[in-house]
Amino acid sequence: MAKQAQSKMSRVLQRRENVAGYLFMLPSLIFFLGFVIIPMFICIITSLTNTNMHDPGMFGSFIGLKNFSDLAKDQVFLKGLANTFIIVIVSVPTVCAFSLWVSSAIYKLKGPVLSAFRCIFYLPVVTGSVAVTVVWKWMYDNYNGILNSVLKSTGIVEKGINWLGDPKTALWCIILILFTTSVGQPIVLYVSALGNVDQTLVEAAQVDGATDLQVFWKIKWAQMMPTTLYILVITTINSFQCFALIQLLTQGGPNHATDTVMYYIYYTAFKLTEQSGHFGYANAMGVVLAIFIGALSALQFKLAKEK
Amino acid sequence: MKLKKVLALLLAMVMTIALVACGGGNQNDPAPSTPDPAPAATPDDNKTPDPEPAPAEPAGASEITLWTYPIGKWGDEATVKGLTDAFTAETGIAVKVEYLAYADGDDKVNTAITANAAPDLIMEGPERLVANWGANGKMVDLSDLIDDTDRSELNAAALASCTHTSGAIYEYPVVMTAHCMAINRNAFEEAGALQYINEDTHTWTTQQFIDAVAALYAHYGDTVGAVYCAGQGGDQGTRALVNNMYGGTFTNAEHTQYTWDDPLNIKALEQLKSMDGIAFDASLAGGDEIAKFYQGALKMAFCWNIAQQVNPNQADTGAEKTVTGDDIVFMSFPSEDGNSKLQGGIWGFGIFDNGDQARIDAAKEFIKFFCDSEHTVDAVKAANYFATRSSAADGSVDLSGVWADDPIMNEYTKLMPYLGDYYQITTGWAAARTAWWNMLQAVGTGDDVAAAVAAGAAEANTAAAG
Amino acid sequence: MKSNTARSRAYKIFSIIVLIILAILFLFPLYWIITGAFKPAQDIYNPEPVWLPTEWVTKNFDNLFNKRSAPLYSIFGLSGPTAPAAFRWLINTVFMSVTAMILTCATAAMAGYALAKKRFMGRAILFSLIVCAMALPKQVILIPLLKEMSALKLYDSLWAVIFPTVGWPFGVFLMKQFSESIPGEILEATRIDGASEAKTFITVVLPMVKPGIGALAIFTFINAWNDYFMQLVMLPSGENYTMPLGIASLQAETSIDMGLLMAGAALASVPIIIVFLIFQKYFTQGITMGAVKG
Repeated sequence: MAKQAQSKMSRVLQRRENVAGYLFMLPSLIFFLGFVIIPMFICIITSLTNTNMHDPGMFGSFIGLKNFSDLAKDQVFLKGLANTFIIVIVSVPTVCAFSLWVSSAIYKLKGPVLSAFRCIFYLPVVTGSVAVTVVWKWMYDNYNGILNSVLKSTGIVEKGINWLGDPKTALWCIILILFTTSVGQPIVLYVSALGNVDQTLVEAAQVDGATDLQVFWKIKWAQMMPTTLYILVITTINSFQCFALIQLLTQGGPNHATDTVMYYIYYTAFKLTEQSGHFGYANAMGVVLAIFIGALSALQFKLAKEK
Repeated sequence: MKLKKVLALLLAMVMTIALVACGGGNQNDPAPSTPDPAPAATPDDNKTPDPEPAPAEPAGASEITLWTYPIGKWGDEATVKGLTDAFTAETGIAVKVEYLAYADGDDKVNTAITANAAPDLIMEGPERLVANWGANGKMVDLSDLIDDTDRSELNAAALASCTHTSGAIYEYPVVMTAHCMAINRNAFEEAGALQYINEDTHTWTTQQFIDAVAALYAHYGDTVGAVYCAGQGGDQGTRALVNNMYGGTFTNAEHTQYTWDDPLNIKALEQLKSMDGIAFDASLAGGDEIAKFYQGALKMAFCWNIAQQVNPNQADTGAEKTVTGDDIVFMSFPSEDGNSKLQGGIWGFGIFDNGDQARIDAAKEFIKFFCDSEHTVDAVKAANYFATRSSAADGSVDLSGVWADDPIMNEYTKLMPYLGDYYQITTGWAAARTAWWNMLQAVGTGDDVAAAVAAGAAEANTAAAG
Repeated sequence: MKSNTARSRAYKIFSIIVLIILAILFLFPLYWIITGAFKPAQDIYNPEPVWLPTEWVTKNFDNLFNKRSAPLYSIFGLSGPTAPAAFRWLINTVFMSVTAMILTCATAAMAGYALAKKRFMGRAILFSLIVCAMALPKQVILIPLLKEMSALKLYDSLWAVIFPTVGWPFGVFLMKQFSESIPGEILEATRIDGASEAKTFITVVLPMVKPGIGALAIFTFINAWNDYFMQLVMLPSGENYTMPLGIASLQAETSIDMGLLMAGAALASVPIIIVFLIFQKYFTQGITMGAVKG
């Protein structure tokens, strides 16, 4: 009898919890479902069709996995996929390592100096990606860019390097810009994380004769793990937002050296080519990318959980 | 709690409306393709939430949109405003103008088409309006605007280029020109290269071009001319350069096949690649090249035409001068006998079929106003090119003398006889030009020229075959 | 021991030098924007580096302001006076970023609390959906989103950029991490006191997650300000341009009139930099708060 009442009670409670939970979720869910999940759903469906710009209708005719098998043969797409991963794999660890080093070098400095440094490294983030891109485009310019003129006048190179026009350098130029706009936040985070490291532990280790390096790895690094994971997440997100750089600097060239999946989706959908408006195909790319990213996020999340 | 509830309710309502609208949108989707006047819900006037759109005025739509590429001063707000104000004053139809750039204008139009919000009017050339959007059924046939008198007045070749193979006319041509190249006269003088050009006829031979580049390179020790290939912008220049050097062709005469795997083109590309002063530059598109030339970094520009000559780099710093005040001389492209075939440029208006007859009619009125009336003179002058017709408004307006008192335009007529075939309406054009600049990039990065050209042309021909 | 301290001192000096060099490199683009905006054409096109304008001119700004015009604002069909389009772009950008920021913070705070503290059905699935969607680039859903906006008649309005920004689930994730740390006993106590859910949320939860909201506000604001891609796709009319879109369109149109572009870039970045410098302390605090809990 008592048990029954209790379970009834808990059912009521559960219902109340459900109602309250969903009411609180509702505003956010409207936007999340409406502008992320529903489009994603449509994206998945259309990736199995030949939907395009020229035929009317939201969905074209069903063609199974043809888009995906075409993608597997599309050299430009594969190149774009490779480039996307190069960008993520290079920029995420370098951003983390760099910001960790900078923070460990500045976190003990005096207040104003510290905040000056913090501000400076954060500036490219606030300047805005398009403004930053535009000025870098000028700096990279191979006729009157500052980079070449400095290199030439100091005699390091004889003839200017065509930074954005050379497939060997173009992608790295983009990664560099991405790098400068990515380190700001991690540095701020690491500085405060280093400041919050439990000093008693550090002192105890020092008394035990641990070297600076040991102290750093064994104690500080371990304590900063949550921060590091957070930084990994936001830097990964950031690395996928390099569209503006590519659109404004190289448009995927030269010779597809800077094509990324993100840019190629846009290219396939809207650039005026004979293939333009192949929405089904573009959406198939989106699905492939989403699967990779979903897996990556799940991995990171798993790591965070184990922590 | 109340506030939150109200908020939640409001958001839920938004959501419901959203879903309903979604459904409605889907049902309406097939509408734009059929010029059926029935669907009153115009998908395109989200910008003007006017409660009384079509039926209120007998004249039809009260506002139309025009998207224009930077064709001479048609990219300049003050000039265009003057033109559209005149139109509005006479017809009562307001014109909302957006200015497109060659770098991303096409993407914008395609995005708008996808969102069912294409502009009413668009100003560009047949390679976009006819070969692409027209061929894909996005444009309105303008045949009814062109009667027999108009046909007799219009340049036959220009009109032919604006006519789709189906017979529909998707563009009303306004102006045309021959694209050419330009040199920095002061730089040529300094490098002792003036001897290689004929300043009177504005022509030179391939050998003279090679010698001139060598002389310039010897003097400046740096790139003097760029085979730009960052994108398709201004690609007529690189095509004309490569084709003319040894007489290669781009398409066959019937415009059914791409022939740029011609050995003569390969020879030209190999020659260009071997020249120290010429760089295959994948960081520049046509517009950038002009700017570099204008700034003095490059000593010659392949992306030139009369509008540039009159107002270099659209910078309003004086005709025929670079930013540093050097003289600019326009030149024909070099060819073995100096008798080159120049690429034509044709520009005019097209109408996107948004399924709203009132707006289409208003847009047609606009075209009549600027293409076949006394205002045609202003439209031509704004574009800085040559009129595509001898006279307008049933012969009452003579257009042959539009530029009579302009010495630069008069001098330029020397090049007009070299105007070559307008092949940009060959099927698969968009793919062909993409393949072209990608091929140039491949050549620039050191790929085998013959192989790169063959691969590119094959890609283009696949598209040409449909 | 002595050599050890000598080495560590040497390392310290070395790292300071490297830091200063890095700081100069990081400041350089901004310096180049600002000086470039005031350089006359000869300086800009000079192949030799010109470190400071030989003559400070405002011509680039004149060009920027004269190039395009737009009504200063338009609300409910009412248009303001015609002004240089750049000002309109700035107004649009501020409106867009602030609206996106407020909406995101409001919705995410509620949702984050629910996810952390309410044991409702489907919570786990929802949360994993959110985590997976977090890193999703907007290009993936570009085409469906465009069609959706068109159907909602939001295409070519700032809302088409704002709504997807609000829908981006990073904020919910962040606020969930924050809300986890709210002690359950306090919530329980409030409930026993007979407070409604809404009252609990407003009087107990909100004050406790305030730092998180601060962090999220900054994050969203900067993201919205920089979200060039959605703006590019959704906003075709000049009067709906935002600052990033405006500068990009200038680059596309004028090719490489660097003076004009730098003037645009300066106009786009200097206001937000000033805001940043004034609220610098809160910025860094906010960001840090976000991570300590995250």
